Amino acid sequence: MTQALPLQGIRVVNLGWVWAGPVTGQTLAFMGAEVFKVESYARVDMTRNLPPFAGGEPGPNRSLSNHACWAGNGSVSLNLKKPEALKLVLELIATADVVIENFGPGVMEKMGLGYDVLRQAKEDIVMFSMPATGLYGPLKEVRTYGLSLTSTTGLDSLVGYKNGGPIPVENAYSDPFAGIFGAFAILAALNHRRNTGEGQHIDFSQQEAIMQMVGPAYMDYVLNGRVGGPKSNEHPVAAMAPHGVFPCAGDDRWISLAVQTDEEWKRLVALMGEPEWAAADNYTTVAQRVTNIDELHRAIAQWTQGFDDRELAATLQQQGIAAAPVLDVADLLTDPHFVARKTFVEVDHPLGFKETIYGGYVKNSGYDAAVVPGPIIGQDNEHVFKDILGMDDERYRQLVSEEIIY
Amino acid sequence: MSSGALAGIKVVEFGQVVSAPYCAKLFSDFGADVIKVELPAGDAARRMGPFPGDVPNPEKSGLFFINNTNKRGVTCDVASDAGRALFLRMLEWADILIENNLPRQMQKWGLDFETLHAANPRLVVISITPFGQTGPYSAWNGIDLNAYHLSGASNRYCGRPGEAPLEHGTFSADYFGAVTAATWGMGACFGREQVGGGQQVDVSCAEAIAATFVGGQNIGGYAQDGIFDKRTGVGMPQGAPATIVPCRDGHVWMLALEPGQWNGLRKVMGNPEWADLDLFQDMRARAENADLIYPFIEEWAMQHDKMEIMEKCQAAGCPITAVFTIAEAAEHPHLAARDYFVDIEHPQLGVVKNLGVPFKLPASPGGPSSPAPLLGQHNDEVYRDIAGLSEEELDRYKAEGAI
Repeated sequence: MTQALPLQGIRVVNLGWVWAGPVTGQTLAFMGAEVFKVESYARVDMTRNLPPFAGGEPGPNRSLSNHACWAGNGSVSLNLKKPEALKLVLELIATADVVIENFGPGVMEKMGLGYDVLRQAKEDIVMFSMPATGLYGPLKEVRTYGLSLTSTTGLDSLVGYKNGGPIPVENAYSDPFAGIFGAFAILAALNHRRNTGEGQHIDFSQQEAIMQMVGPAYMDYVLNGRVGGPKSNEHPVAAMAPHGVFPCAGDDRWISLAVQTDEEWKRLVALMGEPEWAAADNYTTVAQRVTNIDELHRAIAQWTQGFDDRELAATLQQQGIAAAPVLDVADLLTDPHFVARKTFVEVDHPLGFKETIYGGYVKNSGYDAAVVPGPIIGQDNEHVFKDILGMDDERYRQLVSEEIIY
Repeated sequence: MSSGALAGIKVVEFGQVVSAPYCAKLFSDFGADVIKVELPAGDAARRMGPFPGDVPNPEKSGLFFINNTNKRGVTCDVASDAGRALFLRMLEWADILIENNLPRQMQKWGLDFETLHAANPRLVVISITPFGQTGPYSAWNGIDLNAYHLSGASNRYCGRPGEAPLEHGTFSADYFGAVTAATWGMGACFGREQVGGGQQVDVSCAEAIAATFVGGQNIGGYAQDGIFDKRTGVGMPQGAPATIVPCRDGHVWMLALEPGQWNGLRKVMGNPEWADLDLFQDMRARAENADLIYPFIEEWAMQHDKMEIMEKCQAAGCPITAVFTIAEAAEHPHLAARDYFVDIEHPQLGVVKNLGVPFKLPASPGGPSSPAPLLGQHNDEVYRDIAGLSEEELDRYKAEGAI
């Protein structure tokens, strides 16, 4: 029996590129939407050429990171510089529910695919645009990369070691965050369409979406005029201590540990063997522990450093204390929790290699997410042009030979 | 009914701190009818602050204020039989339940998914926890901190080698989990007819980040080649300049990789002689000579202000941005021009700014408009109109302490 998926019957044309836009398409595809990324050999997305490649053999259909981040998006290849290709993409949009794009403001208009044009193709289309800082406003033309966009939200100013300067996050947390968030915006617009019959053009500013994460520090500014800064791994609103990452035995092994109640603190002290420093009345209440957090964290680091991270986490958990190992990339593949949840799966790619990607990272009791390997450029051409758009063989072959379908 | 995009959707939120409250706020701010159910002691965020003047007051928590707009609030002691029955009655009304209690706690209350599903087979239960409902760590205690560091994100991407891996300084795992949950939960609700009813949407904050942020870019290569990377403390170690650099009044995100960008930066710096050196003409070569080039760039940056650097470099085609402080972000004219900051009148805090909608839906605008509820503020109207309690029943539940 084929299982029913919640977004079956929703068709998405995805003009998104690099990371965030493809993740939006992927998210909808996991839930059953039919998603076609429109791309072309005329201008291959840079992420398709990022190593490492399957089998070590370079090629735009073999980038392992690209495949994991794009899996679920189908692919239709059209060289949109050619007028005929533009006509075809509009024909496809006429059969679709959603169009996704993450270019800068105005780029879709220049390509001949502005909202007005899309609406002529499909009156109730949901167009989703996710430029860095939104479709309008004085900073709309700002140039950023995903990993530096966060600097315009205040988020980067909070990351780093206590009393030091900001430390960069070395990849774009904002891309998958905004990519998944974008799928929520689309679902909200589809719900509105269901209620009213009306489509719309969503203005999703990645800056504004990310800045939501800064809310707690923003409130401290609004209420107290305080401007937050880096504070290592301390609690974001100083509501508990200890709250940090502490060294364990071995090379680059660490444990995260947080004490939420005075009761848990007593149990931690007992577990540490009632050391003298902990007996002093500097740490009895949350307020005391927060006030004396530097000494407290130094003392706990002394205690944790001899232990194996996983064993210590298990011991602390037995006492009901929130602790977990700090994993590195290699750990993710073998960690019993992620293994049990099938977070990462090996799939057979139609080009004849195996690749490890992430599967449905949310578990639903009613269905399994639709997990497929990363797309080959143009893999869905025949289906789209012949089955959906009703093109005959001859014309299809002609368009391929003219590199319109390319 | 509201005119928001999610008008007609009925949500019960039974959550605390950030993940479930923020997830439910995404529904309430876009027009769903959201009832927040709090234990008699209230959401723990009420005890966390930030508070005005640092004076604790459960009705004045900034953390509670920002994540609970547009909701009605009731109290319910689900640990009592009467309270539990009342809670289940509320769920008969709802399309969605959003909760972030540890699985063992929900079981202890007799509110496991099977029970909830039996009470309302059409209910979509969105459960957001650090580790998830299944797997060996599902029985663990945990919070945002533990989830984030379990995901691989900190070890891989943030901190200096040999020093502790870092989180962002905010509840980044909770926010990531909340957004993920809103998306997948809304999908389950939208497609409820075709999948045949309600279900549980099990979100592990750690897993969502491990998969999409860390796994996507790293796991395929590691699985195949057995090689993996760790944090370096530098923004982008393969190219330069590509990191955060100090300047006269703060920091800038210095990025000039492609030739056009590099030439733009050279021009803004006044074409210094050192920048003509052959070994600085390619982004990879510059990265290999990072210990030479960064001091030169820093020396220049220290003589200029961040907004000036940003403006001039942007005009010269470089993607360089100032590292905005919270104050600079909060006062930024671009965000103000987009109405991103919204005044909300709160009965105890007065008129206070809040962050506005994360995305704009022109045909069905949303956004925070009414303040976070006081503890139990809507007990009478909600229990009367939604749970259908008579005055007598309402009084009895109150007397018994269930409400």
